Amino acid sequence: MIDREAELRRLMIRGLDGDPVAWRMLLTEIRPALAGFFQRRLAGHEADTEDLVQDCLIAIHAKRATYDRSRPFTAWAYAIARYKLIDHLRRQGRRHSVPIEDADVLLAEHTVEDGVVRRDLGKLLSILPRRQRRLVEDVRLGGYSVAEAAARNGFTEGAAKVSVHRSLKTLSATVRSPGVRHEN
Amino acid sequence: MKTDDLIEALAAGLEPARPARIHPLWVAGAFGAAAVGVMLLLGLRPDLPAALTGPVFWLKALYSAAMAGAALVLVSRLGRPAVSAHRALQGLLLVIGAALLFAGIELALTPVADWSRSWLGLTWSYCARNILLVSVFAAPLIWLGARPLAPTRPMASGAALGLLTGAIAATAYGLHCPEATAPFVVTWYTLGMALAAGIGAAVGRFALRW
Repeated sequence: MIDREAELRRLMIRGLDGDPVAWRMLLTEIRPALAGFFQRRLAGHEADTEDLVQDCLIAIHAKRATYDRSRPFTAWAYAIARYKLIDHLRRQGRRHSVPIEDADVLLAEHTVEDGVVRRDLGKLLSILPRRQRRLVEDVRLGGYSVAEAAARNGFTEGAAKVSVHRSLKTLSATVRSPGVRHEN
Repeated sequence: MKTDDLIEALAAGLEPARPARIHPLWVAGAFGAAAVGVMLLLGLRPDLPAALTGPVFWLKALYSAAMAGAALVLVSRLGRPAVSAHRALQGLLLVIGAALLFAGIELALTPVADWSRSWLGLTWSYCARNILLVSVFAAPLIWLGARPLAPTRPMASGAALGLLTGAIAATAYGLHCPEATAPFVVTWYTLGMALAAGIGAAVGRFALRW
């Protein structure tokens, strides 16, 4: 994933310098990720996906000068995609917040929105008590086994399993409840 | 149009891009327009030549210009997708905090009997309104100048643009306003800028779509 970010950023910077080949490659590269991003969030309106992808590619092209070369490309592109999605939903007059996916999906997924998701995830995880939070982070993000994570955080292995399970349930319930919205 | 063709077309016409910003000429133009607005609507203060030689005129200008500078940074940050505006916001609060401190010290050195005069001056009831009025002259240039940016939070960006407009207007308003106390400036000038920011937020919601 880091390699992909570096590759996309390299293409972006070459594009900013006026290299049409790099620019075509970049737009082609991110197109499937954009399509996936929009499709997942357009429940029942998947037909709009391609329009939104085109809209977003045009926006990325037209606003490319707002990219800061020292920052992650994926976060920038994701912020534009998200803006275009919200604008699209608003235009349709639907009062609709962009839902956060179920926590499990977030934890497993690596897509164009990786960097930003990680930040959103941090926010989400902050609703857990600190010890449980550490445990979840170690197991689901840090790549530790349950036994290792339990030892690190002073749980027995059985208790750790239960705690992780409960934490994920809490998180899932939180992202599903309509009271929690993505900040605009 | 097919997406492949679109990508082809976008890449074909590609030109090098320099970092997006509000060009300083727009800001300078907005200040010029605001100054013209002050002269047309309100007139210059009669003692302007004398005021230019004293420190108070320049301290007022320093405050509103610093607010404009902080607002410009805020606008630039909010106009870049995925860039945090926290630091810029802190900068803005720092400017206001420094002005409050200055006003507090000045008030502490003022006899209590004179506090209300120091705070209200002679023109408190229309200072903020005048700043809004002058903002109308500066606003078109500032908002046109912001077009290269890509604000993903239209209301916040609108508020920042409104604040920038108001701060430029307040700086120009110093050419008319004879008030000379820090408590006055910190209260009523800031109120004028804040009102401009509020209007900017409402306008931004609709005007900043891209």
